[in-house]
Amino acid sequence: MKNNNLKTYAKYFTQFIIAVAGLLLIIDFTIHRHAYFHLEEIIGFPAMFGFICFVFIVIVGKHLRKILMRKEDYYDK
Amino acid sequence: MISSMIPGLWMIIASILLPVIPSYFRQPAMLLSVFLSSLSLLNGFGTFLTWEILGFNLTLYHSDNLTLPFAIIFHLASLLVIIYGWHNKNLMENMATLAYAGSAIGALHAGDFFSLFIWWEATALTSVFIVLAGNTISARNSAMRYLIIQVCSGVLLLIGASMMVYQTGNHELIKLDLSSNFGVFIFLAFGIKAAFPFLNGWLQDSYPESSPTGTVALSAFTTKLAIYALARTFPGTETLIWIGAIMTAFPVFFAVIENDLRRVLSFSLNNQLGFMVVGIGIGTELSLNGTVAHAFVHIIYKALLFMSMGAVLHRVGTTKASELGGLYKYMPLTTIFCIIGAMSISAFPLFSGFVAKSLIMSSLGGQGLILIYFVLFFASAGVLEHSGIKIPYFAFFAHERKTKVKEAPLNMLIAMGVAAFLCIGIGVYPKYLYSILPYSVDYQPYTIDHVISQLQLLVFAILAFLFLVKFKLYPSEIKSTVLNSDWIYRKMLPGIGKPLFKNLQKIIIKFYDLLSILFDLILGRSKKFANSSYIKVTTPGFAGLLMITILFIMLVIAVI
Repeated sequence: MKNNNLKTYAKYFTQFIIAVAGLLLIIDFTIHRHAYFHLEEIIGFPAMFGFICFVFIVIVGKHLRKILMRKEDYYDK
Repeated sequence: MISSMIPGLWMIIASILLPVIPSYFRQPAMLLSVFLSSLSLLNGFGTFLTWEILGFNLTLYHSDNLTLPFAIIFHLASLLVIIYGWHNKNLMENMATLAYAGSAIGALHAGDFFSLFIWWEATALTSVFIVLAGNTISARNSAMRYLIIQVCSGVLLLIGASMMVYQTGNHELIKLDLSSNFGVFIFLAFGIKAAFPFLNGWLQDSYPESSPTGTVALSAFTTKLAIYALARTFPGTETLIWIGAIMTAFPVFFAVIENDLRRVLSFSLNNQLGFMVVGIGIGTELSLNGTVAHAFVHIIYKALLFMSMGAVLHRVGTTKASELGGLYKYMPLTTIFCIIGAMSISAFPLFSGFVAKSLIMSSLGGQGLILIYFVLFFASAGVLEHSGIKIPYFAFFAHERKTKVKEAPLNMLIAMGVAAFLCIGIGVYPKYLYSILPYSVDYQPYTIDHVISQLQLLVFAILAFLFLVKFKLYPSEIKSTVLNSDWIYRKMLPGIGKPLFKNLQKIIIKFYDLLSILFDLILGRSKKFANSSYIKVTTPGFAGLLMITILFIMLVIAVI
């Protein structure tokens, strides 16, 4: 087994996700989605929302480390 | 006779008998007891057993449209837990697990607050042994904290129930609200077990401390029992919508930075409970169906995720993300099962999470609660982050692994396989799940609007993950402890309390010193006075003088 297996898989996976993402956007242009709120009916809104939320969560989490993170044996002392 | 036996009692009886059963037959005996208990599911609805004691009429076995789905899933979860722990010869853990599952099932069928209280405490007392089965010092400490908090919940429930009887003369399990003071006590009791914000510390503290098999059992029952109790007594309580929304959102951030993957799953469990609590808060037929459906599928996929992490712990010895990675090569089946669980919890279409969460989202949309709707939408992206991506990514991928590891044992694989099958089965054929919900549903989760909207959210969130990893913005895992609300009673209160009590003690000692000096002074003076020569003749001594003084004071008071 070669050592770069994971990298190849990751490449394929990324290509697959980009393809699906593109396809979803194309579908969104062709149909009119019905939703409970007009905001959600905007073309590509859930996509934008998902992307931004994800980045937001990770970035906020990263900064929360400064406040919430302690050494592993914090409670043992 | 068998039909009026309280469901779950068979399991408790079997648990007591386990020590005398040869170890070879223990697991089959456990399965048999679950089977016997599950026969009660065929009984239909109604009240089957009451007991009159001390003037109280206790309803020990009552079944209706809300108990049934919970009873089914609790039995199913018991089966999965037993199969998953087939190799486990730890007698204490086997007994505790069976009795714990049995008490949780018994609690579902309680028809009044006092019988509920008995089972409520039984689940606490049995499950603490499962935490203890972690068999480390930190597990033991955690178990003690767990016990205190769980018993607190029970005591609050008892106080609430007693006040209710005193004020209304009724102790039936009926719909309550927060306008009565007993309602608040009962609400808090349920809130502790349902891991409301700031009451949640025990969950993330204790669940990851248990053994690989123990955590699976713990994840299924206690919190979902609380959800059942809330759904029964507080449907439509608006406060719950807000509490639930906070519950879905805030554990997300903790899960991002937590290193222990089983603790990540505990945060994720907390976030999932939030969705159910929101459903109870809305209180419509659709939303309550959503809550029940979500609890049902959640038990399966959360157990599946905990089982996959348990398998990793069993084989590698740790679930710390910083020490894992690359297991896909050695544990391919566990990897696949874990990904199925991850896709279910993330609510991909055709997986069980989707058909349940849609009910809650639709009821929010139907009520026009736009803010809460988008908070839950946001939380869905959060679920994908910590359970959908982080768990499988750090355990099975991330980087290649140098040392070899064996695939999980056969019994673990069977349990995970069954759970994974159910995750997909329910996702593809939701009508069987919908048919056992409390209210009749005419709901179609697979509309094009719905599917596209959800897929967009998930796929672009995955894209965001790939983007963050590519540009090295995704935080790497660091060995650490993440502070949670249990910090309040593990560090803050002792931090304030210890110096406070020390100083208070000093002050009290000083005060006593001062008192004794003062006393000596007064006593010394009066003794001197009593012994002085001009008084000596007429008085018998100090005691007499004291008595005369007291008599004189009494006389003065009497005259006044």
